[in-house]
Amino acid sequence: MSSPVLQAVAVKKHYRLAKHEIPVLRGIDLSVQAGETVALLGASGAGKSTLLHVLGLLDPPTAGEVHFDGQRVDNLTIGQRAALRHRHVGFVFQFYHLIPELTALQNVLLARMMTTSVWQFWRQRKQAKAAATALLEQVGLGDRLRHRPSELSGGERQRVAIARALLAEPKVVLADEPTGNLDSTTARGVVDLIFEIQRQRGLAFLLVTHDERLAQRCHRIVRMQDGVVVS
Amino acid sequence: MYRLFLAIRYLLTRPINLLGVAGITISVWALVVVVSLFSGFIDIIERHVHAASADIVVSDLPSWTSWPKLRSALADEGNVAGCSPRLLHYGLLLRPGHRPPPTPLPGRGALHGGDQPFLFVLGIDPIAEATVTGFADWVAHTDIPADLRGSTPTLATEDGVPTVLIGLDRMRREGLRRGDRVVLTTANQRSDANGNKSAEKVQIQLVVAGAFKTAHNGFDGNTVFVADATLRARLFPDAPDFVQEVAVRCHDETQLKATADRLQRAVVRAVEKNQAAYGSVETWREKNGMFLASVEHQRGLLQIVLIVIMVVAAFLMLATLSMMVTEKTSDIGILTAMGGTPSGVTMVFLACGLVITLVGVVVGTIGGILTGVYLEEVRQGVRWLTGIDLFPIDVYNLERVPCAIDPWWLVQVAGMAFVTGGLVSAIPALRAARHDPLVSLRGI
Ligand SMILES: Nc1ncnc2c1ncn2[C@@H]1O[C@H](COP(=O)(O)OP(=O)(O)OP(=O)(O)O)[C@@H](O)[C@H]1O
Ligand SMILES: [Mg+2]
Repeated sequence: MSSPVLQAVAVKKHYRLAKHEIPVLRGIDLSVQAGETVALLGASGAGKSTLLHVLGLLDPPTAGEVHFDGQRVDNLTIGQRAALRHRHVGFVFQFYHLIPELTALQNVLLARMMTTSVWQFWRQRKQAKAAATALLEQVGLGDRLRHRPSELSGGERQRVAIARALLAEPKVVLADEPTGNLDSTTARGVVDLIFEIQRQRGLAFLLVTHDERLAQRCHRIVRMQDGVVVS
Repeated sequence: MYRLFLAIRYLLTRPINLLGVAGITISVWALVVVVSLFSGFIDIIERHVHAASADIVVSDLPSWTSWPKLRSALADEGNVAGCSPRLLHYGLLLRPGHRPPPTPLPGRGALHGGDQPFLFVLGIDPIAEATVTGFADWVAHTDIPADLRGSTPTLATEDGVPTVLIGLDRMRREGLRRGDRVVLTTANQRSDANGNKSAEKVQIQLVVAGAFKTAHNGFDGNTVFVADATLRARLFPDAPDFVQEVAVRCHDETQLKATADRLQRAVVRAVEKNQAAYGSVETWREKNGMFLASVEHQRGLLQIVLIVIMVVAAFLMLATLSMMVTEKTSDIGILTAMGGTPSGVTMVFLACGLVITLVGVVVGTIGGILTGVYLEEVRQGVRWLTGIDLFPIDVYNLERVPCAIDPWWLVQVAGMAFVTGGLVSAIPALRAARHDPLVSLRGI
């Protein structure tokens, strides 16, 4: 059996506030197979975002392990984890987190610049630009390449963020309430896009959401409560 | 790559950062221009001072000095091309009946070529002097009009009255003409039978023989030449072999210091008495050391002032960068998620500072070099526009405002700018580094 692309093994996460240890994740076991879509449901404060950050190597677990492709990765150095984050996972957030000074195209291209030197990027700039443009066209923003985030609607911004997450061709996309900020029609458009891309590219998706209907469209639903997986 | 790219985008979208660029540009520009001007000025002054000096001067000779003995000691040194004996005295040169002495010109001390009423009176042998210094050129200088030119033979008596050569500018200022009578008032030391020393007033009647002009106004304004016999007859009548100073010319001008050291030992041997050392040997540079050092000192002071300005400019940059960091910490989270390390991401802000500094250094250096090269044109332009003369070149006998751009100084200026710029942008970058990337990712 092939190993899962992303796996949490008995992950615990505590935050220390003043003298108190606040347990947020209390031993999570979760695996995501290649090409699988998983919805993560749970009440506010259940620890969904925290789990996503731990799985995406943004936040180290207090205990337990994170595996990419069967390799333990949570104990790597900061630099190695950053490089893995770049290659292995794409992030989509509720608040888009586009950089307001950059155009849509530049926001997407930035993903390519993260690991290349000036010289390397210069040599592959045409190819990088073509890839970014193609992605933006795929998310339906072919005519918005030079728009700044402030000149885009919420749904368009989220599409740019999705294109950005995909440029480095990750195996897993971690999305934290990607439609949480959008009205239902726009949200449906974004969700349709996500599933279309997922099918085309065979990506694994871990989707945090409060929307039961959206969750039903995923292969699998994982419910969390108070830092543990309940089903 | 992303750091540089983001830094540039951040800066371009915030015109306020031009303040920092302008600050660095202006301070780099000022450092390049002012220091190059001073360096050029120092080069020219040195050339002028050298042109008005002998290569090496032997002075402080004791009263028992015998010229024949000293001359053979000096001639033994291989690098010596020629020597000229001198008597050196001090005095007031006035027209008969003129009193009190003329005041120095306002605002022009002796250091800058202004005239003192108290003069150095050099008693020379004109023929020997011409072989050692530019004396022959000084009396034949093209600026001297025909009616002020000295008669030949130089410094010969006229109708039995000894003659004097006076600096051209001084002569013009005091309205002296050739053939005018002047009185040199000086003093001599006398010892009576009991060995008590007293000062005795000496007045020597002289005729103005003509003018001389060297490149160094400070020398011309404060020096007059008479024949050595003129001084000897009134001041040292019993010492036909005595000299007070010897001007020396060398074959190899690059070896002056070493030659002066060897001559110093030779002179001490030649005039030694009771085991005590007499006589001092100095190169032209050492003899004018105070004057040359004072100009260099001014350059040093200006450097310090301008470096302080650069620090102030850097603080301007700190202010704008700090504002930017406060706004942009929210980007740290997403950049980290995209594969940056948290500490690497904060380098974006350091890169901002370095980009500002780089632009400032490049623009400031190019502007400084251009201003330096066309400094004379700039001066004329400013004078034409405002009537203000920034640099009175005729005071220093110059045709253009001097300027010597030293590449090493340019490197130093750029280095200083980058060090201050780097230090100053490190402050907001460190503040950004303390920001938790997760905070901005969680929203709010
Ligand atoms: N830095 C922190 N320090 C202390 N407690 C924290 C910190 N970050 C998160 N928490 C706590 O962890 C718990 C889980 O937070 P998390 O953001 O993971 O919840 P969530 O399931 O994503 O909720 P929501 O659906 O509202 O986004 C919360 O109770 C929160 O207060
Ligand atoms: Mg959340």
